[in-house]
Amino acid sequence: MSRQKRSKNAPRTGSLKTVSIPIKGSTLLDVENLTVTFPTVRGPVDVVKDSSFRIDPGKTLGIVGESGSGKSMTSLAIMGLLPEGGEASGRIRFFGHDLLDRSDREMRRVRGDKIAMIFQDPLSSLNPYYTVGVQIAEAYRAHRGGSKAAAKKVAVDAMRRVKIADPEQRVDHYPHQFSGGMRQRIMIAMALCLEPDLVIADEPTTALDVTVQAQILDLMKELQEETGTGMLFITHDLAVVSEVADEVLVMKGGETMEHGTAEEIFSNPQSSYTTALLDAVPRITDVVGDIKGVSHE
Amino acid sequence: MSDTKTPLLEVQNLTKTFVTQGSGAVFAGKRSFTAVDDVSFAVQPHETLAIVGESGSGKSTMARIAAKLLEPTAGNVLLNGTDMTHAKAKDLAHFRSKVQVVFQDPFSSLNPKHTVERIIMAPLDYQGVKPPKKRRDFVRDLMDRVGLNPDHSQRYPGQFSGGQAQRVGIARALAVGPSLVVCDEAVSALDVSVQAVVINLLKDLQRERDLSYIFIAHDLAVVRHIADTVAVVNKGKIVEHGDRDSIFDAPQHEYTRELLSAVPQINPEWEAARLTRAQTAQKENP
Repeated sequence: MSRQKRSKNAPRTGSLKTVSIPIKGSTLLDVENLTVTFPTVRGPVDVVKDSSFRIDPGKTLGIVGESGSGKSMTSLAIMGLLPEGGEASGRIRFFGHDLLDRSDREMRRVRGDKIAMIFQDPLSSLNPYYTVGVQIAEAYRAHRGGSKAAAKKVAVDAMRRVKIADPEQRVDHYPHQFSGGMRQRIMIAMALCLEPDLVIADEPTTALDVTVQAQILDLMKELQEETGTGMLFITHDLAVVSEVADEVLVMKGGETMEHGTAEEIFSNPQSSYTTALLDAVPRITDVVGDIKGVSHE
Repeated sequence: MSDTKTPLLEVQNLTKTFVTQGSGAVFAGKRSFTAVDDVSFAVQPHETLAIVGESGSGKSTMARIAAKLLEPTAGNVLLNGTDMTHAKAKDLAHFRSKVQVVFQDPFSSLNPKHTVERIIMAPLDYQGVKPPKKRRDFVRDLMDRVGLNPDHSQRYPGQFSGGQAQRVGIARALAVGPSLVVCDEAVSALDVSVQAVVINLLKDLQRERDLSYIFIAHDLAVVRHIADTVAVVNKGKIVEHGDRDSIFDAPQHEYTRELLSAVPQINPEWEAARLTRAQTAQKENP
């Protein structure tokens, strides 16, 4: 985990303790003119340029783009987890509190607790030496404290909520004893046990088989309806985004090509890049005929 | 497909069992796992056979045995009706000049320290075959054909994007003039726009060079766009095998139906609205 540089002059809005208390009239997540810059030998490069969007409780924003589009950097900037050298500017407001203005210590408190993350590869996010129960419980205790026994109960409940059969037994199993789909359920359980306000899911189903992907997407939608969590869903898959997102933001080379409701983006795309992407997607129904390549190689 | 034709490549009753020797107190002892269980299929000339399944289904193992990169535990591999299962040296060289492979990850299947020219020429060099024209020209022509800049023949794989590197892998497979190319998840790692270009390239090359493909994939939508016949595999067995449209439009097996229904799809109403708009726009501004 590396340090994220912030502008020295950024005003401090609210203290750590009040991050969970919404500023009146504020949005769950309000990103304004976010730019992420990395230094290179050829000078600074903007990997995210002037990106703005909002997420409301219970709603899902899908950010879709190909590799190098800046979609993952956007999510890392929100969490304060940019790789070494990365610098974010603009405003990232969480319930009205600017997140770009926080110290590493403060951001550690926000991450996991208020903003949870689900990544692509559950195996590399889980420690093979500890049982999954210990790991879920640890995430819970780091933020909420309490006894190990109480935290283990939370872990069992969380595993039950993500529909892992026989959670009382499974809580004592190690990550390798679970399939890929089950491991991703455990990551979701870990993310949700603290009842976060915002979930950032970065390609959460990309590594999964298609039948397992369908189950995980259904589960995520169901849990979101139950809890009213806002979600930022990062993916390269247009079909997946069409199924999960209320709003869609299309990115290419760090720039926002298009931003609108899912229906607007898919039924009436304004950007030629969105159209080109849609034309390139192979379909299992043959309605579209030949797929077309996009020439940007 | 008539039954009297000799298939280009045929596998009969393939079985592959992997035996692992565990160690330590807990995992000691031999365990065996049957990855491919009594599987038969055939590829006709100019045909694309897609083998689809989820991870662990055994589809890659089938492909590797068919390409003779792996020995089966039981069963036979026939090329043009000749049994090649236990082919040695000269026969194997003949097999390799007819059957080539394109792998999923171009960067791990291309030597990072060799130039593109050396990579593309490697199959011919290994077989001691001289190209039909000057080495440099031969490589330039192939690169040009797969959509690479021929002036980049002295570059290294790391200097290419994923899509370009996969084209190098395709050029290498084509160098010996094969009849069959086994594509093992050859477009899975590519971005969707690049993937479409590479799929279209594979289809063009098939027409031009009378190629057959065995196309291993987990992505059913990609398969719909490239396959003539489809074999759906689950747990080492082919559960359903037929021509493409019958598999997609009238799947018989429960597992095939489950797979198809799990594929995420762009909302069909939105899709229809977009296509109607595009058609209207085209009418107004032809």
